[in-house]
Amino acid sequence: MKRIRSFTACAIGLLFSLTVLHSPVAGQNNPKLSDAEVAHTAVTANQIDIDYAKIAKERSKNTEVLKFAETMTNDHKAVIEQAVALVTKLGVTPQDNAVSKNLLADAEKTSKMLRTKSGKTFDKAYIDNEVAYHKAVIASVEGLLIPESENAELKAFLQNVVPALKAHLEHAQMVQKQLSGK
Amino acid sequence: MNHARITIRYSLFMSFLVLFLLYLTSFSAPYKPATHTVEISQMKFKPAALDVKKGDKVVFINKDIVFHDVTETSGKSWKSPALAPGKSWSMVVTQNQSYYCSIHPVMKGSITVK
Ligand SMILES: [Cu+2]
Repeated sequence: MKRIRSFTACAIGLLFSLTVLHSPVAGQNNPKLSDAEVAHTAVTANQIDIDYAKIAKERSKNTEVLKFAETMTNDHKAVIEQAVALVTKLGVTPQDNAVSKNLLADAEKTSKMLRTKSGKTFDKAYIDNEVAYHKAVIASVEGLLIPESENAELKAFLQNVVPALKAHLEHAQMVQKQLSGK
Repeated sequence: MNHARITIRYSLFMSFLVLFLLYLTSFSAPYKPATHTVEISQMKFKPAALDVKKGDKVVFINKDIVFHDVTETSGKSWKSPALAPGKSWSMVVTQNQSYYCSIHPVMKGSITVK
C-alpha cells in the first residue's frame, strides 16, 4: 500500500514536473528540444507503455486488464512505426536527450515495482500506473513535444496521436472502476 | 386526313403509356437502398449517431492511425473484423443498432432506422 502511494506520488510528481516545467509561465525553463529529440522522446514514451503491457501479459489473469494491455501493445507499436516512417521521410535521426532519459529512469523504477506484485494487487498497480502514465504523457505531448516541434508534419503527427492517448486514458479509467468494484 | 388521325391516335397512346408508367412507378417502385458512410478517425465514429432507412447500407471506414472494429453493444449479434488503417467494412441495417469498438471500448455509436 505504501509502495503504491509513493509510486502514485512519483507519477504525480512526473506529471507535475512535466506540466509545470513546460507551461508557458515557466517558459524560460523549457528544455529546448530539437525535432530529433522530440522524435526520440515520442518513441521512448510509446515504448515504455509497450514494456508495461508486456509485464501485464506476464502477470495478469484478468480478462479486461489483458485486453487493455493488448490494445496498448498494438496501438503504441502503430504509433512508433508511423513516427519512424515520418522521421525517415524527413531525414531526421531520433536523438537521445534529458527528457527521454528521465522517462526511462522513472519507467525502470515502475517496472521494478510492478514485477514485485501479483494477482489483484498487480492488476490495480498496473492500471493505476496506466492512468497516471497516460495523464503524464498527454501533458508532455501537449505541453512540450507539440510546442517544441518545428517541422509542421511532426507537429501534425503528434497532434494526431493525442486522441489515441486520451482514449487510452479513458479506457484505463474504465478498467480501474471495474477493478475497484470487484 | 388519314395521317392526322394516326398522329392523334399515336399521341393518345403515348400519353396513356406515360400515365401507365407513372402509375406503375408510384405504386410498385421499391425503395432503393442508400449507402451511408461512418468515418472512424481520431478515436471517434463520425457521425456517432446515424439515421438510415430500413435496408440501407452503412460503410465503416477506418481513417485512423490504429486498428478499430465495429461490435454490436452486447457483443453477441455481430462484429466486424479488426480493421487496419485504410480498411473498410459494411453492413445492411434492418433495425436499430448500438455498437462500440471492442479494441477501444470508450468509442461508441448508434444507428437508428427511421
Ligand atoms: Cu496507451
